[in-house]
Amino acid sequence: MKGSEKLIEAIKQQDIQPVPKWQFSLKNGLAWAGFLVAVVLGAMAFSVILFAIQQTDFNMVSHLSHSRLEMFLGLLPFIWIVFLIVFLAVAFYSIQYSKKGYKFTAAKLVGFSALLSILLGTLFFIGGGGHQLEHAFAVNVDVYESLQQRKTKLWSMPEDGYLSGQIEEVSAEYFVLKDFNNKAWKIHYESAFIAPVVRLEKGETVKLIGKLASKDEFTAEEIRPWGGRGTRMRGK
Amino acid sequence: MVVPKEICDRFSELEIIQKALVEVDFFSCLYDRYEARLLRYIKRLAQVTDTEAEDILQESFISIWKNLYAFDQSLKLSSWIYRIVHNQAVSAFRKKKSYGRDEKVTWDDALNASIPDDTSLADAGEMQDIDLSLHEVLEQLPLHYKEVLMLKFLENMGYEEISDVLKIPEGTVATRINRAKKAFKSLAEAQHIIFDL
Repeated sequence: MKGSEKLIEAIKQQDIQPVPKWQFSLKNGLAWAGFLVAVVLGAMAFSVILFAIQQTDFNMVSHLSHSRLEMFLGLLPFIWIVFLIVFLAVAFYSIQYSKKGYKFTAAKLVGFSALLSILLGTLFFIGGGGHQLEHAFAVNVDVYESLQQRKTKLWSMPEDGYLSGQIEEVSAEYFVLKDFNNKAWKIHYESAFIAPVVRLEKGETVKLIGKLASKDEFTAEEIRPWGGRGTRMRGK
Repeated sequence: MVVPKEICDRFSELEIIQKALVEVDFFSCLYDRYEARLLRYIKRLAQVTDTEAEDILQESFISIWKNLYAFDQSLKLSSWIYRIVHNQAVSAFRKKKSYGRDEKVTWDDALNASIPDDTSLADAGEMQDIDLSLHEVLEQLPLHYKEVLMLKFLENMGYEEISDVLKIPEGTVATRINRAKKAFKSLAEAQHIIFDL
């Protein structure tokens, strides 16, 4: 029996039917949907990373002791970096299994996915999405300690020389600061370096490096804005 | 019932597919059109006997039939068919490698099928010698080198077609061919066989 006869006989006898077209379209659609979702989630993770970087004063590193450095590094958004990597891997995996995915090298696919996530993430961050997402995550996920919480912890150790809070009252020699535990501090700032973006006025939230002078007095050596670089320009 | 060759010849491959979706018998046209070269390819790649190659081809065509709607018309149909056949052959080759390490397959049957009918016996003998040496060297290469060399030099495919068959980027095809040629050359030289790839 000829090979083609055997084949047609087998198809007819076993009643083998072609798989419907919609199943292939669905599979391809799912691959693309998976790619898009992963890119968007990656973009969101990236926007939080940008927000965290914005909240971290890297020029503080030189001031920190080893144990403080650990806390400082704790502000870095490792969990979001892991999320970004995971979403990039999912995006890569999804697009690789799309119809034409094999045409591109792994490096190109990862690069393309990363670029899309970075662009979208930057837009999301500029729109304030990074901050909101991080906040929403902190509110809704019990085990997650928000950047603000971790930052507040780091900057609420006056005995170690770190203090933060909101300015309540300003005079020529000192100002009154209410820390995040609602304790009022008298801050001496005559010889302090004041970052140019800081406005010493009521309502301004700042972080200070200096020395504890008494149980409610602190001598500031450096005064920096609480929110990190560039936040004032967007009114945060 | 299979469709006679003279009727099959009237249609292009895409027309055959469209007709087969209405009347399955037309699918035999596609099988007949590719049978000889695919059997030769399977035998070379998977190192199997005639019967095993036919079984692999049957399974491949059943898979082609099932996945007919998955065919992307921006590809050459031959590339898509080779892709499915290649995957079946590779999986048979791997199975054979893991279950039958002591089993030896001679190349004679495979070689006979690759020699055109109008070749004289003397020519055929010479071609067999060349083919045998070629296969001896090819057999020693890792599969990922062997497959690109076979597709490029024995199936005469371009980089784009090879990329579509193996589902790897064209750049990777080019790199792999270069490396495979070097590996092939050094193996051939070690055995005092001269090929001009």
